[in-house]
Amino acid sequence: MSSSRRSRQASSSSRINDDQITDLISKLRQSIPEIRQNRRSNTVSASKVLQETCNYIRNLNKEADDLSDRLSQLLETIDPNSPQAAIIRSLINE
Amino acid sequence: MASADKPINTDVPEKDVFALHFLQSLSNLRRQNTFNSPEKTNDRVKKIKKAAYVSMARAAGGTSRLWSRALLRRAAKETNKVVRFSRRKKRVTWLRRRSNRRDPVEEEEKEAERLRNLVPGGGAMETSKLIEETAYYIKCLSMQVKVMQCLVDGLSPK
Repeated sequence: MSSSRRSRQASSSSRINDDQITDLISKLRQSIPEIRQNRRSNTVSASKVLQETCNYIRNLNKEADDLSDRLSQLLETIDPNSPQAAIIRSLINE
Repeated sequence: MASADKPINTDVPEKDVFALHFLQSLSNLRRQNTFNSPEKTNDRVKKIKKAAYVSMARAAGGTSRLWSRALLRRAAKETNKVVRFSRRKKRVTWLRRRSNRRDPVEEEEKEAERLRNLVPGGGAMETSKLIEETAYYIKCLSMQVKVMQCLVDGLSPK
């Protein structure tokens, strides 16, 4: 799997440089569950990180969609006298 | 030209900041009577989703990040509001697009293109900037999702 070695990036300055990749990989690794489980810590290739990132963003968007759906239903049917409504009201009026 | 040694700052605001902005957006929607009107469910959901993304952009610093700026601009366009942003170097967009078309061969660039389509305003960014914005965007997005999940949990009947 030598196709994605970092040495390729050193050639042109408009590409991602090594320092930033290292930094980013460590940052992204903390935020992305899939990569965290990957044992081969420093050999994760840049494209794999980007790929996982894309998947992660898509998942988050999907979750946001589902949650918006749920929220829409819940806010529509919320009973104005329930304790939940009171909490929301107090939070909103702050 | 590229900032070689600058560490990427990905500290995001606390969850409360996101929660507060989101609740404010929701209360605005409520004031516009979105929840009680006989609107179609789909419209309601779309409004909530848009409120989520806009409030996330505001919580994350408004116009200080490229992606949040792009989000706010997109939202403002949809509501036909007049938005004033300071002029940024639009030249970068043009240059970046040209070099993209020339050689999308390397695997990283291909993935980076896909990423560009997912991150708001990504099309205008150089790859290294894109990565920095993405790290921040991911954190904010997951924070926003957490806030929404908490709200849903809190509102669901026990």
